[in-house]
Amino acid sequence: MLSMAGSEPLLTVLLYSALAVAAAALGVLPFALRLRVPLSALGMAYATASGLMIGAGYLLVSEGMRSSVPQALAGAALGVIYTLRSQSFAGLRQLSHDPQAESGPNQGFKLILRDALHSASEGVAIGVAMAAYPDLRMGIFIALALAVHNIAEAMALTAQLNRGGVALGRAAGLCLLANSSQILLAAVAFVACSAYSQALPAALGFASGALVFLVMTELLPASYRRAGKSRIAFLLSLSAGAVVLLEDFFV
Amino acid sequence: MLENVLVVFLLGLATALATGLGALPFAFMKKVSRRNVSMANSLASGLMLGASFGLIAEGSDYGVWQTIAGSGLGLAFVLAGHFLLTGREVELGNLSGAKARQVLMILAIMTLHSFSEGVAVGVAFGGGEKLAALITIAIAVHNVPEGLAISAVMRPKGTSVAACAAWSVFSSLPQPLMAVPAFLFVDAFQVVLPYGLGFAAGAMVYMVFLELLPEAYENAGHTQVGLLVSVSLGAMILFQQFL
Repeated sequence: MLSMAGSEPLLTVLLYSALAVAAAALGVLPFALRLRVPLSALGMAYATASGLMIGAGYLLVSEGMRSSVPQALAGAALGVIYTLRSQSFAGLRQLSHDPQAESGPNQGFKLILRDALHSASEGVAIGVAMAAYPDLRMGIFIALALAVHNIAEAMALTAQLNRGGVALGRAAGLCLLANSSQILLAAVAFVACSAYSQALPAALGFASGALVFLVMTELLPASYRRAGKSRIAFLLSLSAGAVVLLEDFFV
Repeated sequence: MLENVLVVFLLGLATALATGLGALPFAFMKKVSRRNVSMANSLASGLMLGASFGLIAEGSDYGVWQTIAGSGLGLAFVLAGHFLLTGREVELGNLSGAKARQVLMILAIMTLHSFSEGVAVGVAFGGGEKLAALITIAIAVHNVPEGLAISAVMRPKGTSVAACAAWSVFSSLPQPLMAVPAFLFVDAFQVVLPYGLGFAAGAMVYMVFLELLPEAYENAGHTQVGLLVSVSLGAMILFQQFL
């Protein structure tokens, strides 16, 4: 277990978490260029991000369990509970299996709230992973995986806001703003885990529980709705398998 | 050597018999809701994902590229089985048309992927006792919801509980049958191990994402599916830490 403190690694954390947030602005691009983005492309982006996140969740919790099983389990449970609570707070849970609800008037607001709450735990995931693995490789990887996920989320949000007549510039701003807490929480989680490495297993568990539960309750159903399931399953298997296979690369 | 083969066969047979347990709830229930089947699917998904990730990690210790190649084969295997059985006119016993197709489809998918599970059991013995125990228990446990799924399709169409159990066990019979040659093959050629591990992992992961999860989302709330998958995946990873 290697923990890093000091200014330079922190700079890397800030840089990559900012990159993940900035990627959200790319979600507006297809609309600005008036490209017709097929629904299936969005589904496939969600599926790729989901696979990467499931694989990362597996590696993170395994890493946490190697140091302390009870801590990692408690952390994972907290991560699941946090995501569950934030879903009901955003008012999305009861709507989750009603396709009509996707076009409701409050949906844009709910999506912004949801993205903002997601990005908090995603920021924690970036910071924790940066602190837990040497060379910051795992953290950088998670930041890049979340960037893919942020693009897909921002595309869904922009589509919704666009239907409601929100200008694209403002939509881009909202997408960035909703994700911005990622940078702060990545930095805080990184510094906290570097300083108190005893809490690292719990933090790893939290990140893993939050990522996996988010994928299972929101991202996967969203991808199955938008593209054929054999394509979705293929991308999921490929991306999840690749992460697990590359474990040695991160250590 | 001979007693090893016997042990592998018997353990493979035990995992197959576990599938029959899936029919058990139907002996007490007049009607099993689709929601319960979805929940069983979610449970199976988490367990299978955890098991597959363990297999991939294990396989990459022997050879990353071989594991990748094996996973690709496993994936293609499930995909081929899936497409060969979709959209065919079939008859089965006293069932015909859509009902028969559904039943045959689920039986064929379950039976086909039992081949790779059998390979996993046999191959796992080549990877050491710990891995073997892990995989055998994992597969036996996840066979139960598979039996449940098979029975849940067959029982409402008028099949008796005993016949549901028998068909469930039948779908898993490739496990002991494949376990023995896989074990012998792997024991003789350690080289093939990462291919085999990758194959089982690829087939299981793809089966989860192609069949089990989409079906689970259809008849149960996303939160329930998410909770069950997270808990069973976590339990499986925990299990791996101790074995």
